[in-house]
Amino acid sequence: MADADLDFTTGDAGASATYPMQCSALRKNGFVVLKGRPCKIVEMSTSKTGKHGHAKVHMVGIDIFTGKKYEDICPSTHNMDVPNIKRMDYQLIGIQDGYLSLLQDSGEVREDLKMPEGDLGKEIESKFDAGEEILVSVFYSVYLKLEPLTLQIAILLIVLFILGSTNFYFVLFPPLQITVLSAMNEESAVAIKAMAK
Amino acid sequence: MECLIAPPSMVSTEQRQHAEHIFLSFRKSKSPFGVCKHILETSKVDYVLFQAATAIMEAVVREWVLLEKNSIESLRTFLLTYVLQRPNLQKYVREQILLAVAVIVKRGSLDKSINCKSIFHEVSQLISSGNPTVQTLACSILTALLSEFSSSNKTSNIGLSMEFHGSCKRVFQEDDLRQIFVLTMEVLQEFSRRENLNAQMSSVFQRYLALANQMSLGRHYIAVFEATQNVMLKPTESWREALLDNRVMDLFFTVHRKIREDSDMAQDSLQCLAQLASMHGPIFPDETAQVSYLAHMLEGLLSMINGIEIEDSEAVGISNIISNLITTFPRSVLTALPSELFSSFINCLTLLTCSFGRSAALEEVLDKDDMVYMEAYDKLLESWLTLVQEDEHFPRGCFVQPAVQVFNSYIQCHLAAPDGTRNLTANGVASHDEEEINELQEDDRELFSDQLASIGMLGRIAAEHCIPLLTSLLEDRVTRLHGQLQRHQQHLMASSAPDSVDRKVLDDLYEDIHWLILVSGYLLADDPQGETPLIPSEVMEYSIKHSTEVDINTTLQILGSPGEKATSIPGCNRTDSVIRLLSAVLRTSEVESRATRASLIELLSPQMGKDIVWFLRRWAKTYLLVDEKLYSQISMPLSTAFGADTEGAQWIVGYLLEKVINNLSVWSSEPELANDTVELLVTLVEKRERANIVVQCENWWNLAKQFASRSPPLHLLSSPIQRTLMKALVLGGFAHMDSDTKQQYWAEVLHPLQQRFLNLINQENFAQICQEEAVKQEIVATLEALCGIAEATQIDNVGSLFSFLMDFLSSCIGLMEVYQNSPETVNLIIEVFVEVAHKQICYLGETKSMKLYEVCLTLLQVYSKNNLGRKRLDVAAEEDQYQDLLLIMELLTNLLSKEFIDFSDTDEVFRGQEQSTGAGRTVSAADVVLFGVNIVLPLMSQDLLKFPSLCNQYYKLITFICEIFPEKIPQLPEELFKSLMFSLELGMTSMSSEISQLCLEALSPLAEQCAKTQEKDTPLFIATRHFLKLVFDMLVLQKHNTEMTVAAGEALYTLVCLHQAEYSELVESLLSSQRDAVIYQRLADAFNTLTASSTPPTMDRKQKVAFLKSLEEFVANVGGLLCVK
Repeated sequence: MADADLDFTTGDAGASATYPMQCSALRKNGFVVLKGRPCKIVEMSTSKTGKHGHAKVHMVGIDIFTGKKYEDICPSTHNMDVPNIKRMDYQLIGIQDGYLSLLQDSGEVREDLKMPEGDLGKEIESKFDAGEEILVSVFYSVYLKLEPLTLQIAILLIVLFILGSTNFYFVLFPPLQITVLSAMNEESAVAIKAMAK
Repeated sequence: MECLIAPPSMVSTEQRQHAEHIFLSFRKSKSPFGVCKHILETSKVDYVLFQAATAIMEAVVREWVLLEKNSIESLRTFLLTYVLQRPNLQKYVREQILLAVAVIVKRGSLDKSINCKSIFHEVSQLISSGNPTVQTLACSILTALLSEFSSSNKTSNIGLSMEFHGSCKRVFQEDDLRQIFVLTMEVLQEFSRRENLNAQMSSVFQRYLALANQMSLGRHYIAVFEATQNVMLKPTESWREALLDNRVMDLFFTVHRKIREDSDMAQDSLQCLAQLASMHGPIFPDETAQVSYLAHMLEGLLSMINGIEIEDSEAVGISNIISNLITTFPRSVLTALPSELFSSFINCLTLLTCSFGRSAALEEVLDKDDMVYMEAYDKLLESWLTLVQEDEHFPRGCFVQPAVQVFNSYIQCHLAAPDGTRNLTANGVASHDEEEINELQEDDRELFSDQLASIGMLGRIAAEHCIPLLTSLLEDRVTRLHGQLQRHQQHLMASSAPDSVDRKVLDDLYEDIHWLILVSGYLLADDPQGETPLIPSEVMEYSIKHSTEVDINTTLQILGSPGEKATSIPGCNRTDSVIRLLSAVLRTSEVESRATRASLIELLSPQMGKDIVWFLRRWAKTYLLVDEKLYSQISMPLSTAFGADTEGAQWIVGYLLEKVINNLSVWSSEPELANDTVELLVTLVEKRERANIVVQCENWWNLAKQFASRSPPLHLLSSPIQRTLMKALVLGGFAHMDSDTKQQYWAEVLHPLQQRFLNLINQENFAQICQEEAVKQEIVATLEALCGIAEATQIDNVGSLFSFLMDFLSSCIGLMEVYQNSPETVNLIIEVFVEVAHKQICYLGETKSMKLYEVCLTLLQVYSKNNLGRKRLDVAAEEDQYQDLLLIMELLTNLLSKEFIDFSDTDEVFRGQEQSTGAGRTVSAADVVLFGVNIVLPLMSQDLLKFPSLCNQYYKLITFICEIFPEKIPQLPEELFKSLMFSLELGMTSMSSEISQLCLEALSPLAEQCAKTQEKDTPLFIATRHFLKLVFDMLVLQKHNTEMTVAAGEALYTLVCLHQAEYSELVESLLSSQRDAVIYQRLADAFNTLTASSTPPTMDRKQKVAFLKSLEEFVANVGGLLCVK
């Protein structure tokens, strides 16, 4: 298999899928696991019950893969799980049957990412055909669901065209399915990453 | 016509629009009087009647000069009779017709063609008729006249100049208003004599009362400030007879007594009394008159208050009367009152304050929406503050007893039973519910700061009583808290089951302590922004007075043993009370700290923790290392305990430091408490004298090391707190230390930061790992620390801090590339630059400034490259998505600010050398800023200007640029130039007055720039011509904010200098449009005088000043003429 690095069952280089952090040390725009989903924190506020109560943190997060909203409230002394987010850089070297051929630094090629549908796909294709160099950064987070052995890999992708037009595109690539993240805002660019060479 | 307008109620929208159109054009038709009269007499449709009345009103004003005076007169009579004969008219129709009458009277008053007096005669006849319906009508007429003449927003739009409205008002005020007043008084007099009022009568009564309130009296006098609810009454001399008559005042007291149970009417009558209470100015012939007026007022007030049980609806009104009395009448008048009267007044005020305070507390328990007693209580406490702040005018000690009473009642309301009445409802039932409190809710110390300031002040007045009281209450609560916590601990140790004990007892104690500490804090010290706070003189005197009875050693022992019960120390009664109160807070602090060590954090109150560090900070600013030079006399106990070079001071610094360190490690999860704590730390080190002691503590060094190693628990603190902590650590580094120690200190504090950062970014695989959360966190922590370091900049440390930070800034630019798609990191990087520029640029010499400019330019270049073609997704998105833009503008503005504020030492620079070596590559502020503007301008769409913060920052920036680098403006690329000019015009014409002013300020330098280059037909030259017209119209034709006259005047003058011919054209065309010869002459004269002192206009300061002065007169003279309403 071309992408041995993406063996999430064991974790990469000893890094775990999540690590704990005290609730009060989380910050807006950071990541956190809410209701079992890796989320980007879009809102954070504190409150207390009664004047002499202890602080509680109220968080609203957007699932970085599905865009769904999750909320949670917990004492600010509690530890929350923070997901590990990783990045891989590829160069786009071909488009075949609606799939992207992506060249890794290691020289290996992965071909399991589908070309985005719609205008975006067409634009990528035409830019690529016009000979523009395109670098693709794939971001992924490992997340183990409660069901054992159900492995979820979600991959987020942004393509930045370096020559000519310089628009950003936000594309989400869960396995075997492509969704264009039109609803996501610009700040999701953390999860969805572009890089030009 | 009538058939066309008849049935508007059963038609389609289209037809309705059509009908509306007909009405509108009908109102514009020529001489519609006959038709209107006909309509009024025949039509049964109210709406049509209303329109007919409106048409008459508009036509009369429009065709005034053409109409026969007789026909106007008869029209007015017709309208009045019409209304009189139809008592059942719809209210809105009647009012509209009366409005038409009022407009006719007002317009008539201009050319004296209509005798105003006749209408008052008619009205007084109506009033004396005794028929309630007719009297109501008379009241409506008077009300219509009042609102028409008030020259306020209520005035009808009749197309006459503001000057006309103004002069109408002045004439009316002097004469007719008094007549209305007299008429109203008569009616009130009559009603107040009646035994019983039936419903109809009382409604008439109410209308007159409202009228009295409306007229009375304030509104007419201060038209400008109409919006403010509480107008002060300042009538002219001519009102003396009408208003100074004691019977007027008595009448209002009588009236109030009669109607006080009707809350609406009571509001009006109390408002009238409050206005009478605020009477000042030329109406009083001398001080004696003022004294006797006040005496009469007080007598009336006292007999009113003492005889009744106050209704809820009266509380605010009564407190307004008192507050007006106290703020309006000079102290000399108050002291000239008969002493018995004065003391009964003070007594009454005391009782009232205590009673309102209790009712306010009750309102809080019941969680009422409408907190009338709270409002009244606030007002009275404010009045007390006014009174006692100038207590040297009054007999010595005359406020001590009242202060004791008010203070006691405040404390009582805030303590739990049995000592106090907190949370008790009227029948003594305790209520206790836990509500959710969000972070936006203000802390009590801010929410009630006005109350607390007053109570603190009263506490100082009665220090003899209040300081010992607070001490003993606090000591008692702390002992109880200690015991309670111990019981919980034993319980915990005895059973493994979770503590199930009710928190009520604890929460009650916390709440008691909370208020006691707040009051103590406000009593002992002030919190003046910026100034050096002084020990209040009352507190100092109190301490001095007792210093002979005090045993210093016992006092120090009490102070130095916060772990022990104060009362268990022998001789504890012979201690200094001021120090004892501080010790009581320290004891609270100690109980808290011990509980944290015993792992009882769960049981503690973060709120109390906040209160403690808040108090200690406030206290430390004022008392710690007290500077004897600042006081005429100083208390021995205070100077022995806290003076410079005393063991006491050293001990307490050590104690506070320990407290800070303990808090930061155990309370990292409570952001507000952690913040208050770290602010206490900043207070300890921001003054060099205190810092010198701090750095001698081993704890300080431990804290520094711990923070530098980013090890737990400090790294759990939220980022703003880490930033402030860094600031404190840097500030401390500039305390006095020998050079070895100093070197060691920096090696402990700053170098690890650098080392860690360099190690990280120089790693070979940094590009691969940079997005890992842990790496990012490390980077973010470094950036936060850099901001903290910049914040610690002071004039004497800027040199070393600047060099330190500069090393980082270039690396930060590299990070911009790496994190270009992580907006929050990018923002933080820019923020570092913003902070450095903000805090340091004003101290930097030329060489260093240059370095900073260079690095900022590079930052902007990278930012610009990364942003090129970047799409911002949703324009309607939130403001914080544009944080980067805001920060960039802030950075540019900060860089520019050097041109205004520059403390740098110019000797430091070697100019010649600088020029010879680096002429080619030096970067000027202009280069950086213009480059920045190139980035910012295209991004600032009109949509973005809707965000206030972006809008303000943007205009601040472009004004700065125009003022500082006008010579660069013509060199801008065409598109940029255009959008800059467009922005200025937009800002001038359709933004807030603040922004409009900024834009006006930008115009003069631009015009001067044009004049300098002498080139005509450049885009800037053409643009300024356009601005001349804009500013001219703004000043001459539009109603503008008077604050803007100066800015607009300056702009106008320079523009006039530049475009003299165009200016003359503007004046000519304005004059030629005037048909009235008188107005023409006045305008022509005014324009002549305006430029007389500056012909030909030149850009000369003296001439400009002269012009501005004439402009002021010009605006006053003819400003109202052309501005039409």
